[in-house]
Amino acid sequence: MGTRMNGSNQGKPWRILIASSHPLFAKGLRSLLEKRREMDAVVVGLVSSIDEALTALGSLHPDLVIVDYDDERVNRDEFLARFVEGEGRLRVVLLSLKEGGSEAIVYDRRTMAASQIDEWLEMWNENQAPFIPPRVLAGEGTPRIPKPKRRDSMKHFIAAAFVVIVLMAAGLYGYQQINLLPDQASLQAASIDNLFGIHFRAIIVLFALIVGLMVYSVLVFRRKAGDTSDGPHMEGNTKLEVAWTILPLGAVLALAYVGGITLGDTQALPDQKPLQVKVVGSQWSWRFEYPELGIISTELVLPVDEQTLLELSSTDVIHSFWVPEFRVKQDALPGEDFARELRVTPTQIGEFKVRCAELCGRLHHAMESPVKVIAQQDFDAWVKSKTVACTGPVECGNLWYQQFGCQACHSVDGSALVGPSWKGIYGKQESLSDGTSALVDHDYIVESIRNPGAKITAGFQNLMPANIAANMSDDQIEDLIAFIESLK
Amino acid sequence: MNFFKLSLVRGLIAQFLGTFVGVLLTIIVRVLMGLPAWKSEPVFVGGALVGVVAFMFGTGVLNDWIKWAKGEETPETTLDSGSLKGLAKYLHVSYDHKVIGIQYGITSVMVFLVAGLFALIFRTELAQTGLQFLTEDGFNSMMSLHGIVNIGGILLGVAAMSNYLVPLMIGANDMAFPRLNAFAFWINLPGIVLLISTLLMGGVDAGWTAYPPLSSNLVKVGFAMFFLGVYVIGLSSILGAINVLVTTLRMRAPGMNLFRMPIFVWSAFATAIIALTATQLIGLSFQLVLFQRLFGMDFFNPLEGGNVLLFQHLFWFYSHPAVYVFVLTGLGVISELLPVFARKPLYGYRWVAMSSMAIALVGFFVWAHHMFTSGMASYLRVPFMYSTLLVAVPTGVKFFSWTATIWRGKLTFPTPMLFVLGAISIFLLGGLSGPPNATVATDLHLHDTYFIVGHFHATMFGGYVFPFFAAIYYWFPKMTGRMYNERLGKVHFWFMLLGFYVQSLTQMEVGLLGMRRRIADYDPALGITFQQLLITIAAFVIATGVLVFTVNMIISVRRGAVAVANPWRSRSPEWQIPSPAPAHNYDTPFEVVGEPYDYGLPGSVYTRESSAPAAPVPAPAAAD
Repeated sequence: MGTRMNGSNQGKPWRILIASSHPLFAKGLRSLLEKRREMDAVVVGLVSSIDEALTALGSLHPDLVIVDYDDERVNRDEFLARFVEGEGRLRVVLLSLKEGGSEAIVYDRRTMAASQIDEWLEMWNENQAPFIPPRVLAGEGTPRIPKPKRRDSMKHFIAAAFVVIVLMAAGLYGYQQINLLPDQASLQAASIDNLFGIHFRAIIVLFALIVGLMVYSVLVFRRKAGDTSDGPHMEGNTKLEVAWTILPLGAVLALAYVGGITLGDTQALPDQKPLQVKVVGSQWSWRFEYPELGIISTELVLPVDEQTLLELSSTDVIHSFWVPEFRVKQDALPGEDFARELRVTPTQIGEFKVRCAELCGRLHHAMESPVKVIAQQDFDAWVKSKTVACTGPVECGNLWYQQFGCQACHSVDGSALVGPSWKGIYGKQESLSDGTSALVDHDYIVESIRNPGAKITAGFQNLMPANIAANMSDDQIEDLIAFIESLK
Repeated sequence: MNFFKLSLVRGLIAQFLGTFVGVLLTIIVRVLMGLPAWKSEPVFVGGALVGVVAFMFGTGVLNDWIKWAKGEETPETTLDSGSLKGLAKYLHVSYDHKVIGIQYGITSVMVFLVAGLFALIFRTELAQTGLQFLTEDGFNSMMSLHGIVNIGGILLGVAAMSNYLVPLMIGANDMAFPRLNAFAFWINLPGIVLLISTLLMGGVDAGWTAYPPLSSNLVKVGFAMFFLGVYVIGLSSILGAINVLVTTLRMRAPGMNLFRMPIFVWSAFATAIIALTATQLIGLSFQLVLFQRLFGMDFFNPLEGGNVLLFQHLFWFYSHPAVYVFVLTGLGVISELLPVFARKPLYGYRWVAMSSMAIALVGFFVWAHHMFTSGMASYLRVPFMYSTLLVAVPTGVKFFSWTATIWRGKLTFPTPMLFVLGAISIFLLGGLSGPPNATVATDLHLHDTYFIVGHFHATMFGGYVFPFFAAIYYWFPKMTGRMYNERLGKVHFWFMLLGFYVQSLTQMEVGLLGMRRRIADYDPALGITFQQLLITIAAFVIATGVLVFTVNMIISVRRGAVAVANPWRSRSPEWQIPSPAPAHNYDTPFEVVGEPYDYGLPGSVYTRESSAPAAPVPAPAAAD
């Protein structure tokens, strides 16, 4: 209750009578009413029983009577029944402060007949949905929920802004104290980390903004006990909506632009021709071929501060090349025409791991190979050591064993990995999964390499890549057989 | 009613027998073609197809259509559903949208419990380095099923909310096509049976995304069941969407123009547009893989001229918009509930409504952001970066509007409101962790890591799971006529909120440090062992919360205090009629004469009885 009342009172303050035997109710309400200066109302009396109230009606000529709904000494039913017989324009507000008593209800003598009171009270008593006679509400001079005052709004905005700023500052300070990313070991990582920095700060600022406003609202804009009125009727503000559409739009476009620049940075071409490395993923190992140097390796060795052009492919399913310290990632796809490029310029000497990032089957989690970034002169020495020809079929076989990735699935010490161990396998009578058995001899091994699915050893599955031997020469296979034969 | 007459029981028996018949038929066809009689995959696929059809016949959901085909008349409702009481009512075919909605809801929660159990199993495995009790294949299957079963659960939950709420909110007596509605619900069940059956058929260990060639190479019948199951559930989505669209467009109460609909209806509408137009693509992509497996049609086999990237485009053309199917519904619940508990109008109603449509639209142009490292043409990544970041704009409008809605409101905090506020903060975390994945350069680091895992769990929890729980608590009195237990509800909330924040933030952290997705074991050298334990503990905290929820529901549905007619003092029409709502919703139709969320505007009325003249004697808007 609390805005302009109707015409009959124009210019004159509203005269209010409060009926309650409870001092807190009456005095509290009076002080509340008197504080609202804009209300233009005066409390003409406080009464604590029905008789007093009826007397006061005659002597004080109130415009509005506020009755404590929960007070038994002021018998509301009887009061209403007697009051309704009167003539003058007069309103009664029944006000309940009890939890669950919900709404204040307004009775207007002019709009309701005496016979309707019973019905009206009955609905109220049944603890039904708060019931406000629409006619009364819709009519002129009924209570309105006041719009928040501008000064009040400013106060809340400033306080909430303080909460938001504190949260932002705490978040940004905390961000300075922790390290969210692994070591930065490539030129590409440097630009990417800059972009990460923008993202992380933006996340902290925006999270603090929304959560700060929410936390403030949750703490401050709580419903008071017993207050069943609604909040202010604020439907929206088109200017504000346009603003918080346009501003984020500008922000994301700027972010996308910076993102595009950073992507360009990661693909920048070097001054001199990059080192070429073919990276071949197979379930579940990596093979690294240096076509210009004639090296095949199971570890990726790279010279520091020189760009390497990785050419990625797969022999079976999709794998993904990722060294977290380099940041960049690229899937390795199966199929001849599906080789994909990735440029990396290592900037930090050290040992890392390439970790397969695309689910590729059973041992996906273990598909990790060493990556060594070394100084240029060390790299030259490594190249020299790798290109020294092996001597003798057994030694060469051992080299192919490692370079073609056989060691990922076949041990040489008798332990069973994904495939049978090679130790002592040569000349053995092996039982197969179809129930037959076969002698492991020269021809058997050739067949097992060229056509891995032809015979499956009992207890194992057909998991060996079908085209593993695509890049193997017959001589290399002979060397491998010699190596296997040597493993007694 | 006899146990063996219940639709569910009959359907399951029919599916079992149908599978058997299908297996036999396939064997006969194979023999006639001169092939070896037994090859497990084609034989089981034949069995599964016949089994699904048999399930539908068994339930009786097709009976009316069969009668129509014969030219016979049918009654408006199923004859025998009215007599059922208690749980049995929900195990039998009904055309009542409210029963169907609750059927969807119960199924959804049960499916979630299964998917959550899978998560607990593999999270326990991840608590320490090394493999303790799962094999790698077992881990991969648990992880894949956790994903796909949850997605099924979410789709069921989305359908639960739109089915139950849309007709009630717009003043319709039912959905536009009640029989189609029932069909769309029941077809899910054989699909779920197929998905779960993969556990007995070697599992599905290629992730829920099932990228070929891995998913086409692995010799496991489970994959065929997986593809068929998803296909069938997708069919349900499409049919359900048709119903929501037609119902919303054609069956609104007089006076309810589109901008006077409760805001949830806008979300359901936008969701249905996506579901109707995108779902075919996942069905198609999985169907092609299935054909590759069954018939050697090498769509995705690069060795035979196929293209592995083609699958990813088809797959994500559905699966990204699907994300908005999940979250738009949830965001609709947030927008619907906030004004009630803030006692203020929804701030910028039209903007919020239009932002749903904008998200639905832009959602179709962003799918390839899942493929920034896939090896698609490099230049394509830039336009997809722009389109993806654009999603932030309409999403931002929602956040700002929600914040403005609670600003200076008179807030109360019963359980549904807590879940709504929790949802906003978690969806904010999910939303804000999106842009680092959207800008290509940073995504090169983040793709396929636990950062993504943390990000999408935040969007799913904030955009779907929390709002779903809010909706269950909020409409619990409407559905059951009883109140849930408030204290247990709050315990549930705090367990989920705290558990989730710990889980999600830690997932993001380990992802940044180098933890890849979908790995059964991780390198101790990464230094994330403690965090992994923390995530596992957080997962169990969340699970405890869900357990409390389940107990609360089971107890409250029987013993909860009888709810008053409109416990939240909502203006929405569904709260102006008794709870649970009567069979045909509104005995007397209402008309819309005002705005839906005019809280705080004295004298404003949203709905009133159509026929009644403006009575001098006050009467509630809709008769009790």
